[in-house]
Amino acid sequence: MDHIASLAGKDSLSRRYFMEMSAKLSLGVGLTVPFLPRQLKAQETGKAKNLIYIYLSGGMTHLDTFDPKRGDVMGNTETIDTVVDNMKMGQHLSGLAQQADKLAVINSMFSTNGAHEQGQYIMRTGYEKRATIVHPTIGPWAERLLGKKNEVLPDSVLIGQSTSNAGFMDPSLSPLPIANPSGGVPNTELIVEGDRFSRRMEMAQKLGNQFTEKFKYSGPDSYVEYYKQANQLLNSDELSAFDISNESNAADYGTGRLGQGCLLARKLVESGVRVVEVVSGGWDMHVDVDGSTATRIPEMDKAVTTLLKDLESRGLLDSTLVAIGTEFGRTPDINMNSGRDHYPAAYSCVLAGGGIKGGTVYGETDGQGKKVKTNPVTPEDFIATIGHGMGLNLEETIYSPTQRPFTFGDKGKPVTELFG
Amino acid sequence: MNNKTCPTIVRILAVLLAGIFITTSHARTWTSTDGKSMQAIFLGIEGDNFRFKMRDGNQIVVPSDRFIKADREAAERLDLIGDDSFTKASARQIDTLLAGNLKEAGFSSFNEPLPDDLFVRRVYLDIIGRIPTKEEFLEFAESARPDKREALIDDLLLSPGYASHMFNYFADMYRLNASEAFVNGIRMDPYIQWWRDQLRANRPYHEMVTDMLTATGNVGQNPASGFLLRDTGMEFDAFANFGQTMLGIDISCAQCHDHPFDEWTQGDFYDMAAFFGNTQRSLGYRPAAAMMGGGMIEMPDAPEGWKKQFENYAVEEHGIVLRDQSDRQFRYFVQALGWNISDNETLETVLPHDFRGSGGKPNEVARPKTLIGNAAKVGGKTRREAVAEWLTDRDNPRFALVIANRMWDRAFGRPLVGPVTDFADSSIRGAAQPETLQFVTREMQRVNYDLREFMRILYNTRAYQSIATEEEPDWGSDYAFQGPVLRRMRAEQAWDSMMLLQHGKEIDEKSGADGSFYKAVLDIDFNTMSNDEVWDHFQAWKMASGRRMGNAVLASEGSMTPTVIDDNDLRASELAQPYTNASMLDTFGQSDRVITDDHNYDGSVPQVLALMNGNVTERLTGLSSKVVEDMEEYDGPDDKVRGVFFTLLNRFPTKDELSLGTEMIEDFGDDGISDLAWALMNSPEFLFIQ
Repeated sequence: MDHIASLAGKDSLSRRYFMEMSAKLSLGVGLTVPFLPRQLKAQETGKAKNLIYIYLSGGMTHLDTFDPKRGDVMGNTETIDTVVDNMKMGQHLSGLAQQADKLAVINSMFSTNGAHEQGQYIMRTGYEKRATIVHPTIGPWAERLLGKKNEVLPDSVLIGQSTSNAGFMDPSLSPLPIANPSGGVPNTELIVEGDRFSRRMEMAQKLGNQFTEKFKYSGPDSYVEYYKQANQLLNSDELSAFDISNESNAADYGTGRLGQGCLLARKLVESGVRVVEVVSGGWDMHVDVDGSTATRIPEMDKAVTTLLKDLESRGLLDSTLVAIGTEFGRTPDINMNSGRDHYPAAYSCVLAGGGIKGGTVYGETDGQGKKVKTNPVTPEDFIATIGHGMGLNLEETIYSPTQRPFTFGDKGKPVTELFG
Repeated sequence: MNNKTCPTIVRILAVLLAGIFITTSHARTWTSTDGKSMQAIFLGIEGDNFRFKMRDGNQIVVPSDRFIKADREAAERLDLIGDDSFTKASARQIDTLLAGNLKEAGFSSFNEPLPDDLFVRRVYLDIIGRIPTKEEFLEFAESARPDKREALIDDLLLSPGYASHMFNYFADMYRLNASEAFVNGIRMDPYIQWWRDQLRANRPYHEMVTDMLTATGNVGQNPASGFLLRDTGMEFDAFANFGQTMLGIDISCAQCHDHPFDEWTQGDFYDMAAFFGNTQRSLGYRPAAAMMGGGMIEMPDAPEGWKKQFENYAVEEHGIVLRDQSDRQFRYFVQALGWNISDNETLETVLPHDFRGSGGKPNEVARPKTLIGNAAKVGGKTRREAVAEWLTDRDNPRFALVIANRMWDRAFGRPLVGPVTDFADSSIRGAAQPETLQFVTREMQRVNYDLREFMRILYNTRAYQSIATEEEPDWGSDYAFQGPVLRRMRAEQAWDSMMLLQHGKEIDEKSGADGSFYKAVLDIDFNTMSNDEVWDHFQAWKMASGRRMGNAVLASEGSMTPTVIDDNDLRASELAQPYTNASMLDTFGQSDRVITDDHNYDGSVPQVLALMNGNVTERLTGLSSKVVEDMEEYDGPDDKVRGVFFTLLNRFPTKDELSLGTEMIEDFGDDGISDLAWALMNSPEFLFIQ
């Protein structure tokens, strides 16, 4: 057994050994499934290498954002022009209005799920929620279909939630959850430092050795391995990819969770993480829609505007697909509490970067934003469109452990017209 | 299909009938102070006397002071849990059956007998779901009682931790989740509480299953209705879950096509599902399209139009505005009341329009027909009553086999036939230990589905009380059960052990989430209760609204004032179900209770980071932790080292470990104790059950 110093000190490891070890590092890559680097397939379809999926939980009001209309249904929200002639927005999206030439807005989303849970589930997995199986989100799917992208960092990260899973896929594909974007990877601050930490690890390893020598099982062995990996992670430079405390443009993103989440997403994508999901709540505006939109929408506007500009200036926009999704829209009729209720019959989602043809408005609703008139897009279609943009093979069948067949996006039809 | 499966059942029954009958000749020996002995079944303590049943069937009463001390102690234990003559005879029979096959499998005997220290840690973890305290460990290690193992097993089976740990198992199996169904406005807390209560009362399992399958009413009137309400809107998934949990058959794929590997057709799926075809989960909510039929009925036991009538009252008397957001709790309350299970003759299971398998035609009405075994007797009862009766009938050994196999898996870490959710008849025929499988199936029936007694049998076997098999057996292999396999703790066992280390054993008695509050609130009979009384229930509901799911508790019996427990230092079974708030439970793989048996035993980097650097670790091993403070009672460093080992790993340190630990404590004092405790918690041994 290596002495702790050789584990903890990166210097004593050859670069090659370090890379090999890091290949399994993971924050999740399990030992039960051997790490099989699959070469990236020639990307027949999309050119996006990365995805930042901003998920607005609660149901983003379509009328006050990307699908403004005239008349009573608008309440007190005014419509503004954008740099694209046929694209209008609600008044709070003043930043994105200037970035409209980067956006493809889908105004013809519709869903049959009027409850948050089911609606979010299908918008994040591409599958209807069932009681006999759990479907993976986009991150695990991409890793499963394309192979692991980065050798050191996890392939996917979920910002804004404290738990994650890989559905029916191997748990090692689970996105790394980061509940608080400013908090970094949980539990990476040592309780004690230096010699004292070494002393602790050394004792633990001696005990561990006895145990693993006695029991020839993969379980205890895997723990020994995870301790090695954890120690490596604690000493690796890659950990700093999760630290946004020194980013010079942090304020431009906004100080809230959504803004900081987008900043962290940018940094992670830049460092080599493939899929980052940023989940942000506060969109369930049953009461006082004016008050809620006046805070939520500018926050989102600032975060996404800065994200697009930042990605562009770093040369990452072409290779990074940015998506804004939500479970449904909100009722065109304003309720007696001056709020808007759930409205799955028509809503809006947005795509940008990653080969998206900017300045596109796809699909339309009627004059009151109540019904989809042209080019309806289902949640499955939307997820399939993201998959298409990322070059995922939408035909490839993956079997669950119970031998049920699944494909990315549940046979949804990608909206290929959105890509340039 | 029935023809194909019949031979198996006939064969099983034949073996069962030819099996060993346990008789009073297995009775235990009782010894008097003057050295005489007798064989008898102990029936109980009556004042200063013991009552026995003799071999000839006669009963006798003997003054207790006539017996030796060991027998008087045994009587006290057996008085609470029942005579163990049959238990031990049954355990011996399992050992005989397994031993017979061990030779064939190339083993001379079972693994070495488990030493006392490993025994005590294992039974605490297996039976009550946590490690023992240092004191509990020492008490056992130092006891000279000849029956100390059976006595400890019985004591643990009788302690509150037994039901707590069993609850975690069933919560995973039956997907007990307070928030999932609440999405539809269904309050699951009373159903989850029902599970806790049934397990505490050690209710026979087949009765619980019957309750769940045949329940009518809402969860306030009948908490067992939560089983069917759980999957409202996903009726076929609910049926597939019924198959996996109660029949040990995964037929979910036959919903869309013929089963690719087994014998079931798509038609068989719908015929079996039709037993639930006229089950209505509603009020005002339509079941899945394919289940649709005639008109919906309202709450079966409530007067027609109760909802409208109560709403009108609330509007007129209390100024409720029905669509107002600030009165939304009123909507939720009425909605929760309305979620109930009933039987509606006008509903039918209809085959899907795109039916493409065999055994039916598109849009055809499915007639209830059992998938395996005998036909169900349908006359004079509801379809659900018929299927429950068929399922739990003695002539359908599959039901007993499924739960016996699961309980076996709990004890040994491997099932006799697997996977436990899905095995074909051919797997039963091909099981590595067919005689044992058949025997425990019969035993499950003999003990009348008393799960505690069944587990008592398994824990008393020599096979169980062997050291864990040191080399991991392949999953596909025919395991000979020369001993249990090494298992990682369940997340709940790790959590509960950490709670113990932090707070001591009073954690076993501390209660938290209690669904009886919502049961009381929702238990409403519109036939007898006035609107004012119902309104009082709504006020109680409103008081609890906005509290975290599952944590509002009933202050006292019959009270409808919610007390909110904000303390999360509770055993896992007492927390909101499931407790996912960035906790160690989640990190260690607790099921999120969406699909059945979804607990995950894998390690991960985030998991070990939590053990290395997490708050919990600091609370458990830091300078002000209980373990460090407890060591003050010991003088020398070597005793302190022993104390830390007793506390965390429940064993004596080896010579090497002792000298290493002593050195740490000599050099660094309390810091050294803290370091040692940290090291023990961060060695794989802590997380594994050997």
